[in-house]
Amino acid sequence: MRSTLLLTAGFRLLLLAVLLLGTGCATRPPASDPEALAEYRENNDPIEPLNRASYVVNDGLDTLIIRPAAEIYRVFLPPQAREAIRNVISNLRSPVIMVNDALQGERQRFGTTLGRFLLNSTLGVAGVFDVATGFGLPAHSEDFGQTLAVRGVGEGPYLFIPVIGPSNPRDLAGTVVDIAMNPLTWLTGNAGVDAALYARTGLGALDAREALIEPLDQLRASTIDPYAALRSAYRQRRAAEIANQGGATQRDTGTGFGVGPGPLNPTGPN
Amino acid sequence: MIHPVLPRRWALALPLALLAAPASAQMDPGRAGDFIRVTGEELVGAINTQGSVAQRREKVAAILRRAVDLEGVGRFILGRWWRIATPEEQQQYNRLFEETLIRNLSARFGEYQGVRFTLGRVQARAEEDVLVNTTVERPGTAAFGLDWRVGDVAGQPKIVDVIAEGTSLRLTQRSEYSSIITRNGGRVASLLDAMRGQILALSAREGG
Repeated sequence: MRSTLLLTAGFRLLLLAVLLLGTGCATRPPASDPEALAEYRENNDPIEPLNRASYVVNDGLDTLIIRPAAEIYRVFLPPQAREAIRNVISNLRSPVIMVNDALQGERQRFGTTLGRFLLNSTLGVAGVFDVATGFGLPAHSEDFGQTLAVRGVGEGPYLFIPVIGPSNPRDLAGTVVDIAMNPLTWLTGNAGVDAALYARTGLGALDAREALIEPLDQLRASTIDPYAALRSAYRQRRAAEIANQGGATQRDTGTGFGVGPGPLNPTGPN
Repeated sequence: MIHPVLPRRWALALPLALLAAPASAQMDPGRAGDFIRVTGEELVGAINTQGSVAQRREKVAAILRRAVDLEGVGRFILGRWWRIATPEEQQQYNRLFEETLIRNLSARFGEYQGVRFTLGRVQARAEEDVLVNTTVERPGTAAFGLDWRVGDVAGQPKIVDVIAEGTSLRLTQRSEYSSIITRNGGRVASLLDAMRGQILALSAREGG
């Protein structure tokens, strides 16, 4: 019930923000100004006023609820416990990464993910310990949004969605498909199973936000227009992820944020 | 075309100079790699020295001032608005840009106590710059990939971009600055005001 109330409040805030900031679309520059036009295309943000309104709403929700919750999570759980939770959650996501590796024709990465899943589920005690990285199988991320991109599907216009963050129609559709292809999504049974699945979702969100406390604080402090900086960073980061050029490291719990904190395992053999 | 203001003898000297040093803008990958290794070691040394946060930050700032092509990066970030800005605005922008960049970067690096970094691949790029891959590790947090783009500025290797996990600092900041100017009716002065405000906020955070 509480989440419904929160959503209603969020929706009202969004409406208010849209009214305050003015509705409609970003103005497309005339063809006589090729540099401005190139920039407009680069930003890929035709519904910028609406997105900015969503950003304001998200900022409010984040300041009031989400960030404080992530801080409480950090304060009350010791680092070892948080790492164990993070490992279990990313291990549970392995099948989704594996399917996307396969759909992208990435044999070696598919093998890596399969090996990680088998090792961490057994030797790693149901995923609590990431032993696979020590065996030379470092973590990487994949999602169906990237699979679509590899198959030539365009991203569509930039979207900023409260709570979810920066996205676009392709990545949003990808997230839905990823949820649908996760066997755990379809697992039902007694109340205990349902509670465990809710806990997985809730802890996953807390873990993702906890890891972003410093990066997002830094973004807010070091930029004048954090919305524009995040938009540019998200598009660049996704392009690097799609090309599998994440550098030494890629976080494998896809948060949707373009300013991820890096990998899960600093001890990787990179 | 010869610039009308240039003395006549330059018209001869310029093509000769270009012939004499055809590779002056081309960065040597080995040299760029060494430059990043040395600069990185200096930065790590400054970050991990004893002393107050303010002292560490000052040391980091001094290294960055030497190593970064501040003018080139600033010009790149202002992009098409550089030509629209008046000479006074350009001057003010250069000053404000240097201060915000140095403050932001040294505040960020100044907090990286116990940092270690490892040099990775060094790749020559088609655009005459060299990309140097490094991995940054800090105790208690995840390692991340940090790439440095090194260019040749007047015969010296200089940092022209920093790329964290696929996100280029100068591309992100160019997009941000242009967005501020565009949303303020194309006035470069509005960006300068915002930068002044940011410097005040940053120095308040630093406590002085």
